[in-house]
This record gives sequence, structure tokens and C-alpha cells, in this order.
Amino acid sequence: MSSLPFIQKMLVEEFGLTPEQVQPDSQLDELGVDSLATVEFMFMLEDKFKLKMSGEPVPIKTVGDIAREVDVMVAQQGISLEGGEPPPAP
Amino acid sequence: MTQRVVVTGVGALTPLGANAHALIDGLNAGRSGIRALDTPWISHLASPLAAPVMSAVEEQFPKLRRLMLDRVAQLSLLATREALTQAGLDLSGEQGEQCGIYWGTGMGGATTLEHAYVESLLNQATRPRPTTIVMFMANASTGQIGIEYKIRGPSFTYSSACSSSAVAIGEAFEAIRCGRIRQAVAGGGEALLTQGVMRAWESLQTLAKPDPLRPECSCRPFSKNRSGFILGEGAAALVLENESTARARGATVLAELVGYGNSTDAGHITQPDAQGQARAMRAALAQAGLNPDQIHHINAHGTGTLVGDAVETQAIHQVFGAQARHIPISATKALHGHLMGATGAVEMVAALATLHTGVVPPTAHLDQPDPECDLDYVTEGARQLPVLEQVMSNSFGFGGNNAVLIARRYHP
Repeated sequence: MSSLPFIQKMLVEEFGLTPEQVQPDSQLDELGVDSLATVEFMFMLEDKFKLKMSGEPVPIKTVGDIAREVDVMVAQQGISLEGGEPPPAP
Repeated sequence: MTQRVVVTGVGALTPLGANAHALIDGLNAGRSGIRALDTPWISHLASPLAAPVMSAVEEQFPKLRRLMLDRVAQLSLLATREALTQAGLDLSGEQGEQCGIYWGTGMGGATTLEHAYVESLLNQATRPRPTTIVMFMANASTGQIGIEYKIRGPSFTYSSACSSSAVAIGEAFEAIRCGRIRQAVAGGGEALLTQGVMRAWESLQTLAKPDPLRPECSCRPFSKNRSGFILGEGAAALVLENESTARARGATVLAELVGYGNSTDAGHITQPDAQGQARAMRAALAQAGLNPDQIHHINAHGTGTLVGDAVETQAIHQVFGAQARHIPISATKALHGHLMGATGAVEMVAALATLHTGVVPPTAHLDQPDPECDLDYVTEGARQLPVLEQVMSNSFGFGGNNAVLIARRYHP
């Protein structure tokens, strides 16, 4: 399954954004999530889902970009995101 | 031609409350902000006492903003906001380019650094957060003040231990006085109540022994039974302007800064030196064009250490001579704790308030007079003075830096 709902939920919880703000095509910089905050968020995702990001620079501009990057890593590393109930879509 | 430098706003977030009014009210009432820290690791310390900020801090920032703000930056931003609000100053326009930031801190983002060390040294698999560097670096608060309030003139970060924020205020005063900038936010912040930092201070053996019956009274500056200071946290900010700028925009002037002295002991890294302190006091008096008998109140450095208080007393004797015993002297660290890099600014806020009310705060908990400390320390409680035109605030730091500020009641 797509990581998008998990990522949206975490953006709301960790950054105080609203569910309406974290649409797949929402631009991160317009939400106040700058490049440093994006790296911080990727670290949070690694810790939460025991992922290992590639370390290669990936152009991440939108909420959907994060989900696509995570989906690739999840598939490569055979990880399940479903530690708990999937959150309802925002 | 030098400019007159005036204060148009003050802010203070201290163990005595969320703003400058709470600080002044607490000091004059003799209320102590010292208490046992409520944290799981406190049992690892010999003494649980500290002077924490109890008012809401973190909650005042959105989560995303908080991501890059160590507690010291949060305290610094809140104190600055209070000062700018009182000054009625919006620096987002062109004015912001003529305003400087002069900020002091002893340890910068101590909480962030300690957390990163604990995480990465005890658990090799854990990486420090990517924001670690920008949160603990010494100039983080300075930069965040600029970002938050759009202050775009020169910015400087001063770190001279306990005199850091007094130096910051003094250097801002000099910059405005000589015309380099028109306005400045000046002050300092400190947030070092972490396990590692507090244990290191314990090892240095300068912290007060807890009074078992009245722990809030454990810091006793100038008292014979004094045993050291209590670590505290907080921030304080001043808005300084040249007089013509302040008047042109119709600002209310709170006081005028008239003197700043700075000296280095060049003796010992921790032991204070009366000669060095006296040089700073004399330099401030000379710049202010004042005679010793024109200082009506001193907010002493007065940490409550055996050596420190005796040496400061000697220095005041050297500078003020026969007048020394007639100057009401307050050591307010007994109540707000020792706020390290922020303490000079906090005490300057306290000193400035006396110019308005004519009331000087007490040196609390001085219950055993010491022959080596033989000045008028205002032991009876807050005192109304018949004349209060000029005040001096002393700040002396480890490393041997001495910073002395003089303010006077504003007369256009």
C-alpha cells in the first residue's frame, strides 16, 4: 500500500499542519517545510518505519514526492508500514 | 558627534515570571524563583535546586517553528517580543536595516547539544537530528531573532560567561552612540538546566548548598553563611535607540544609557579580581561623565560565592571610597538565580525599573552580616529612595571579563 496516508498523518502530528494542507500536490515550501525540515522529516520516517533512505539527493518538492521516495525504499527493503491501523485519508 | 542612547522597550522571561513586570514585582516582594527541579534525573545531583522558567514557553511556538528552536532561542524570542511590543517597533520595513542584534549567551543550545551527545554516544545506531547544529550553535538565538522580527542590520553574539548579555548591551550602546546603527535589540538568553551541565557546575563547587528548611532561600549573597549560587534560565531584551530616532517616532523613553565599562582581569580563569572589576566601573563612570557620588544604586553581580561577593565589595570600596557605604546595593540573584549569559540583561532590566519607581529591590536572605561585606545591601526589603537618578549594574564573568553599565533617568 502507499505510504501517503502515513506520511500525511505524521506531517499533521509532527509539524502541526492541518489535514487539508497535506494534499499530495501540496508544495512543502509553501507549507513552511523548508529543506532542513524535510531532512528532519525523512529522519523521522527512517526511525519510525526502520527504513534506510538511499542517501542520494532526491528532488522532494511536494508531500507526494516524499511518499514516492518512501514507497521505493519500502519495496526495496521489504518493509511493512502497517504497524498499526492505517490512518483515514485526510 | 556622539548620539544619546535611550531605552524604549524591555522584556524579561525569568524564573520570577513571564514578563518584566513579573520580574520587578517578584524582586520587590522578595519572592524566590528557586525550587527543586521536577525531572527524572534530578536524583543524580547533589542538590535538586534550580531557578527554572515556569511559564509556558514551548507552547507559544507552532510545532514546525519549534523544530529549529532550542529552549534558549525560544526564551530569547519571547523576551525580544515583549521588548519590541513595549517599544512599539515594527522592523519589517526599511527601518530593520538600521537595527542591530547584540545577543549574549554562555552555552547556546545546551539542551540540544546534550541530547545529541546522549543519543549518539550511548546509542551508536542513533544519529543526531539534522537540526542539531543550527539549534546549539552559539549564534542560533541571534539569527532566530533576526528571522522572527526581520532585523537586518549588523548582528553579533557575545559569550563571556556571566557577563555575556551585559557586554551585548554595552556594545549595542557603543554602536548607537557612535552612529553605526540607529536601533538595536540587545540582551541575552540562557537555558542550561540539563543533567550534564548541572553536574559539571556541581563539580566546580560554586553552587549553593540547599537550605533544608527553606530551600528557596539557599542563595544568600553577601551573607556570612553564603555558599554559592543557584543555576537559572531565562532571557531579557532591551530595545535601544538613538534619541532622535526614538523622539521622531514618538516613542516613550524609559531611560538613557550613559556608560559602559569593560575590562579583563588577566589573572585567573575563575578567581575574580577587584582591580579588574574596579577598572570596568571607573571606565563606565568616565564615559558617563559621572562622579562616584552620582551613582544612587548598584545592582551587584553578587552571586553568593564566598570569594566573589568579598571581591566585589572590595572593588566597590576602591571605586566609591567613602561614598561606598552610602549606596544601596542589591544582589537580585538571591531571588531569580544565576542566569549566566542572560543574567546581565535581566539585572539591567531590574536596574532600569528602579529609575521609574525609585524603589530598589532587596538583597534577599542576607541574615548573617559578614565583616568582609560591609556595604548597604538593602537587607530589610524593597526600599524607596528619595533620589534615584543614576544606576549601575555589574556583571563579571568567568574568564575574567567585567562589564559595567550605567543608566540614568531620562531628561530630554
